[in-house]
Amino acid sequence: MSISEADVRHVALLARLALSDEQIVRLQAELNSILGHIEHMQALDLEGVEPTSHSIPLRNATRPDVVRPGLSRELALLNAPEAENGAFVIPRIVGAEEGA
Amino acid sequence: MAKDRLTEVLERYEAVIGLEIHTELTSLNSKMFCGCPVAFGGEPNTRVCPVCLGLPGALPVPNEAAVEATVLAGLSVECAIAPYSQFHRKQYFYPDMPKDYQISQYDLPFCGFGHVDIEVDGDGVAERIDLDAAVSANLLERDSDGYVTRIGVTRIHLEEDTGKMVHVGGSEGRISGADHSLVDFNRAGTPLMELVSEPDIRTPEEARRFAQKLRSIFLALGISDCSMEEGSMRVDGNVSVRPRGQVELGTKSEIKNMNSFKTLHDALAYEIVRQADEIDAGGRIVQETRHYDVGAKRTSALRSKEEAHDYRYFPEPDMVPFEFTPEWIEGIRARLPELPDARRDRFVRDFGLPKGDARTLAADASFADFFEEAVALTGPSLAKPLVNWALGDFSAYLNAEGISLGESRVTSAMLAELVELIGDGTISGKQGKVVFVEMTTSGDAPGAIVALRGMKQVSDSDAIEAAVDRVMAASPAEVANYRAGKTTLIGWFVGQVMREMKGQGNPGLVNEVLARKLDA
Repeated sequence: MSISEADVRHVALLARLALSDEQIVRLQAELNSILGHIEHMQALDLEGVEPTSHSIPLRNATRPDVVRPGLSRELALLNAPEAENGAFVIPRIVGAEEGA
Repeated sequence: MAKDRLTEVLERYEAVIGLEIHTELTSLNSKMFCGCPVAFGGEPNTRVCPVCLGLPGALPVPNEAAVEATVLAGLSVECAIAPYSQFHRKQYFYPDMPKDYQISQYDLPFCGFGHVDIEVDGDGVAERIDLDAAVSANLLERDSDGYVTRIGVTRIHLEEDTGKMVHVGGSEGRISGADHSLVDFNRAGTPLMELVSEPDIRTPEEARRFAQKLRSIFLALGISDCSMEEGSMRVDGNVSVRPRGQVELGTKSEIKNMNSFKTLHDALAYEIVRQADEIDAGGRIVQETRHYDVGAKRTSALRSKEEAHDYRYFPEPDMVPFEFTPEWIEGIRARLPELPDARRDRFVRDFGLPKGDARTLAADASFADFFEEAVALTGPSLAKPLVNWALGDFSAYLNAEGISLGESRVTSAMLAELVELIGDGTISGKQGKVVFVEMTTSGDAPGAIVALRGMKQVSDSDAIEAAVDRVMAASPAEVANYRAGKTTLIGWFVGQVMREMKGQGNPGLVNEVLARKLDA
């Protein structure tokens, strides 16, 4: 399996990365080299090995339903490029979908 | 849209509907992955912390009570609880989601394979054109009132809610044409439970009943206030139509912004007719998300890019998986309260209530509690007039004032007393309505109002004299104390005489006669 230039452009769009043509060529090569490493692993005999997403044998880590102090509004907005009426200001959204 | 237009379309086309229902776990104290409080409204960005603002380095930790509430919800709709489950990251970009991914669940949700049985009666039965053909294996029961059908629950998973945006400039706060937008992250990270139904729903009425049934169940579980107006319960619908007899499904659209049960019904009805008209005209249905405009009573397409739905889910590395033991699951099951169907059946059995009234009552757990408190005072013989008052004037009062039961000036004991006063003939039903209005404004008990307003009061001095004589004869010690100088006892005597006269004595005359006889 290898990654095409179109794949790189697609993933870059999803990640909202503006890449130059030069960067796309470089990233295509780098991503293919990473995938090449995964192909090495796929060559291993992993029969009987359970797939896992986490490497530590811990389960059910939760916290009790207790309120803890958070940030003041002043602090929360301190790094906002722009704030208005206690809210973060975001520029006009074009072609966006409403609701989630 | 005229109702006959929908039935005309449904005679030729079968609608296939699935719902996605998001419910905020509003009864929890803290958010899904951090200790910020869960609440509605408030000054923007006053319930935030590094976790729910998605600041670098912040580590989310799941709220134990939210996990338990979701499993409880799953058990309440007959779901299987996954022995192994975990959170995933769902990547997309939107300004109300600060991390640029939502922590959600993907292929390993907590609950799945459940179902809910819904009853359809009244006008909505007519929407189910194929009732006589009984083509659906989901139809469980049918009688002269309507039918019962089973709606599958595909899954229930847990995720976090987003922030809220206010669009500045442009029309009606819509995003299109807005100059810029303001983001408030108070709601971001609120525990959000998503239930996905099977596409087993065939009519807008069934969709409404299904959503209402889930609301009544979640209210009984006490996990959410389920307010469609405030957005703590949000329903999206996937709808397609196919010519009757066709097995292959039509192309579906997703309908958003249905923020009341009536709107849910009307939006789905509109969309079914729109799709049928499009097909009749030789057109083609496009898979898209459509927004329902309550004012215009129509749906319209939202602009969206195809790439927007490539979410690139992957296991949340900040959180370890869940493994629930059968013992743990049984411990949660033991917390299941009496559910609305069981409560409805008990109301019919124990109090002889009509099924429709019993269902309405049982649909809102706190309202049903109110009724049960009142009926415990009046006894079951007055259950029917009590439920008429509860669902009639009392509900109208709550709606008109826009208040919850907890804010009501009329308590269950007061409503019970009113029904008793009418029941024993002290006042007429007509007087009862006057007394009720007075109860809602003054917060006084109905007995006191009847007495004060002199309703059916007795001004016959012979009757009052006789009552005063009886009270004085029965209370020699109090009479002696009064005559020895403890004149403040007059109030106690008035109360005794009024009680003797079932609250109907004219208070002025009672005072007068008492003073004369005691001072003699």
